Amino acid sequence: MSFRSSTYINMNKTMILELANELNFKLSEEELNTMVVEFETLHDLLGLLETIDTDGVEAMVYPFETPLVALREDEVTHELPQDAVLKNAYRVKDGYVLVPKVVK
Amino acid sequence: MMVHKDAIYKLNALQATTNACVTIIEDDVQTHDGVLSGIAIALKDNVVTQGILTTGGSRLLSNYIPPYDATIVKKMKAQGAVFVAKTSLDELGMGGTGTTGFNGVVRNPHDLTRQAGGSSSGSAVVVAAKAVEIAIGSDTGDSVRKPASFVGVVGTKPTYGRISRYGVIPYASSLDHVGYFTANVKQAALMCDVLSGHDPLDLTSLPLPSTTIHDTLNDNVSGKVFGVFKEVVEAVDDPQTLVNFQRLCDALVAKGATVKVVSMNEDYLRACLATYYIIANCEATTNHANLTGVNFGLTQHGEDIESVLTHTRSYGFEFSTRKRFVIGSYGLKDENQEKLFRKAQKVRRVIVNTFNSLLQTCDGVLAPATTSCAPLLEGDTVNMLSNAHLIAENYMVIANFAGLPSITVPSFLVKGLPHGVNLTCKAEDEATLFTMALAIESCVQEGV
Repeated sequence: MSFRSSTYINMNKTMILELANELNFKLSEEELNTMVVEFETLHDLLGLLETIDTDGVEAMVYPFETPLVALREDEVTHELPQDAVLKNAYRVKDGYVLVPKVVK
Repeated sequence: MMVHKDAIYKLNALQATTNACVTIIEDDVQTHDGVLSGIAIALKDNVVTQGILTTGGSRLLSNYIPPYDATIVKKMKAQGAVFVAKTSLDELGMGGTGTTGFNGVVRNPHDLTRQAGGSSSGSAVVVAAKAVEIAIGSDTGDSVRKPASFVGVVGTKPTYGRISRYGVIPYASSLDHVGYFTANVKQAALMCDVLSGHDPLDLTSLPLPSTTIHDTLNDNVSGKVFGVFKEVVEAVDDPQTLVNFQRLCDALVAKGATVKVVSMNEDYLRACLATYYIIANCEATTNHANLTGVNFGLTQHGEDIESVLTHTRSYGFEFSTRKRFVIGSYGLKDENQEKLFRKAQKVRRVIVNTFNSLLQTCDGVLAPATTSCAPLLEGDTVNMLSNAHLIAENYMVIANFAGLPSITVPSFLVKGLPHGVNLTCKAEDEATLFTMALAIESCVQEGV
């Protein structure tokens, strides 16, 4: 039994590489081949979403209906010591995280 | 501190066979007195601990020393806890097998050829092996409740927002819950009392006081209604699981409870895994965009900032994690967002509304937590579109969709190995959850 959807784009190596590039990581040729095969099964799985009628249904982004009030006064209430935070940075200079020059 | 030394000794012995820990903490000291005094506790390694390595199970974070404690760490310290280990997990909590963490595969202490489940693999193992009494985990799909079934301990996930997530490395924010493993249900109720309560540092924290359940907890289920989840039971493909489940239901009736069948549309249940997969991976892709190696993490050298990012994230993430990020990114692409991400969020609402309706007809929904005992690490094959996989192995994610309190309690053995049942109750009704769970535990221990 297959629920293959015709509405999603098919994934080929070029498209997977494009996504990986946007995500700032690489995939080996072997990893790419594995993903192409696994996307076939994934499409069957995702097709199950289309079996559910969601006409007029609002997207659910949070488990409960009661909204939480996240706004507060713009005051400092919680701080971490700068030197403790910077200890985890690869390169630090003058109290800042140092990265390779962006504009040469 | 004898308890501490004893735990360290057991953890070191256990490590050689199960790989349950990333770090064994030899030098933590008790700083307060409270209900956790004298109890050794382990933390899943996605719970940040000031001055103690916290990796999230990822090579990218394998040098990260947090500058602060998670809120739950502070709460446990205030009650006398001593932390003895940071436990192994699937990378960033993204997995259900205990096989994708940077530090290697975690093995089930009852049978080393089998999975311990995941993603809170190590925490499940250290409680099962009696190295510690309590271990913290996190549960985005079933990452506490499924491993609990596989190793034979109690695994609890209270209501979404009941326990602060401040200082817990996220996976998917709309689904993530703090959970924990205990040796018994009474300890589970105690931990809910200790860990719960509003935290202004977590914007999803519920504005509710801490629970006070433990001291008055009893197993009186007279008049309580257990709703047996029909479609899940029908999807179970291990006959021994079904025999055991019937035996438990009979024992609950003998204890004064009512057991009735509850049912929901099978198509909704078959769509649970796809719904979870899309929502979780889309949220994870966004959440983990901050793992760049620039401010923290195992930075890899590059000539420019793009190269630093690419080298760090390529080296830092396992293939299984990079794959999930690609799927998440695929679901968020402009041309797919409405058809996949938004669609999954709408299906989530349909499933949640239907399940909450079931809970109006009973006090808790009960079913086998998984089809059978823990799968083999190698050799077991799965039909990805079978009801056994889509429904019986993955229905527990509904409690994450709906934010409901949910608990796995050990039941009778299957193939001589641990196996659990799962109970889910109404939001914020942990008192009923633990009462009904204690009755289940009593029935199993009495062996009736």
